[in-house]
Amino acid sequence: MSNKSLKLWRTFKEGWQNLKRNGWLSFATVSILTLSLFIVSLSALLGITTSLILENIKEKVSVNVSFNPDVSETRILEIQSELSKYTKEISSVQYISKEKALDEFLAKNNPVIAQAIQEIGENPLLPSLNIKAVDPVKYPLIVEQLKNSTFQNDINRINYEENRRIFERLEKINVATKKAGMAIGLTFIFIAILITFNTIRITIYSHRAEFEIMRLVGASNLYVRTPFIFEGILYGVFASITTMLLLFGIAYYIAPLTQDAIPQGNFLNLYLGNFHWIFLSLLVLGSTLGVISSAIAIRRYLKI
Amino acid sequence: MSENTNAIIRFEGVTKGFPHNPTVLENINVSIMPGEFVSLIGSSGAGKSTFLKLIYAEETPTMGEIYFNERALSVINRKHLPYYRRNIGTVFQDFKLLPQKTASENVAYALEVDGISTEEINDQVPEILAIVGLGDKADKFPHQLSGGEQQRVALARALITRPKIIIADEPTGNLDPRSTEEIIQLLLEINSYGTTVLLATHNKHVVDKIGKRVIVLSDGIITSDEQVGKYKDSAVSEKTVKTF
Repeated sequence: MSNKSLKLWRTFKEGWQNLKRNGWLSFATVSILTLSLFIVSLSALLGITTSLILENIKEKVSVNVSFNPDVSETRILEIQSELSKYTKEISSVQYISKEKALDEFLAKNNPVIAQAIQEIGENPLLPSLNIKAVDPVKYPLIVEQLKNSTFQNDINRINYEENRRIFERLEKINVATKKAGMAIGLTFIFIAILITFNTIRITIYSHRAEFEIMRLVGASNLYVRTPFIFEGILYGVFASITTMLLLFGIAYYIAPLTQDAIPQGNFLNLYLGNFHWIFLSLLVLGSTLGVISSAIAIRRYLKI
Repeated sequence: MSENTNAIIRFEGVTKGFPHNPTVLENINVSIMPGEFVSLIGSSGAGKSTFLKLIYAEETPTMGEIYFNERALSVINRKHLPYYRRNIGTVFQDFKLLPQKTASENVAYALEVDGISTEEINDQVPEILAIVGLGDKADKFPHQLSGGEQQRVALARALITRPKIIIADEPTGNLDPRSTEEIIQLLLEINSYGTTVLLATHNKHVVDKIGKRVIVLSDGIITSDEQVGKYKDSAVSEKTVKTF
């Protein structure tokens, strides 16, 4: 082993030994760092989930265009193929015939209403096209186009107004949650950095008398400092692992609440599907926080 | 004295002051030869500790120059200070052991920082601990050891790098008479193998018993320097003498 790698290995062992022999202080530091990482990652994950839920709701919304009873099926199908050409705006156009609409209506409503309709003996529903936009923002434009189209006289009704109110509300909620999530997340990240920094500074403060001894015995500043850098990394590693466990617990418990609300199925799937990304980010964030705090704190006591 | 070129330590017109005390040491000219055993005495505040700190470069002189093996300390780059310090073994009144490390780890640390191989360390540390009589306490932490034992660990740590000179600042100040006797015996033994020893102390019995060179510091100047010296009451205030 070369001199440099021998010293690197020794300083790593020093850092590990510090961590072990300062049991309580290390435990407290890792706990604080875990708390910070947990809060930050939880606010990030909840923000992502909320936004996914809203996206998912928007996905399910569509514009329904009903045609007058005298419009033939051939004509409607023509219109359908015409609309399908606007692939930039429209993602799908589905034809729902009178009969299909009735079947769906009967399946959805209670037997009394179903019976009443059968009493009439005639299908009162209209054939329609169900249009889904590529981007929900495009709906007003699509509706406007339909109203001014060549087949505007064939159209009986566009049930967009009620949907529009839902869109607008969802959009507002989405923007608000993103803003609030960002603000809360940033605040917590800031607090987390301050707390972690202070905790590590206290840990190093408790060692300050030793720095003088180490230097007297002939240790270079680098040799004194490196163990604390490693200690900072180790804090980050342990805190990340603990945070992953805590997040798993949270994900497991709120999974039923988010069932089918997001494209991933539920919150647990979202967590498991992105396990390596979340873990990697936490490792980087945690050890960076640990190392930077250690480096700044030690500079203060390692004068020469 | 300034033309003496074989000295291990040489002070040439050294003055050291601090903002609150401009002349802790004033125009000190003194040489210490390799293999000497020198006792440095003087009352508290006479400048003994500053004298020693100047040698291991914890302080720098306000004026004058200090030479180690005829190399001026002022030219040593601050970055290279740790390497210079490996030439000097230091022992203090408060032992200065690392509290989180066992006796053998404390001793080994001095070799580890120098990049000495692990095999050599595992070889040398038990040996030196046996020499200072702590072979059976290698795995004890400082707080599990008595004052005398802790000082012997510190001495073992100072010796393990085979320094040219041992600087002992009041090493027996916190010890009972029996431990004091043991530490002084060890220092004399180390000196008999050729290592220079510079001992700062208050202890009259210790100085009188050693019967070697004694330098007396008083108010920042050397008032006496005898090849076979005795403790001088006049050099030390009454109050200090009573303590011992």
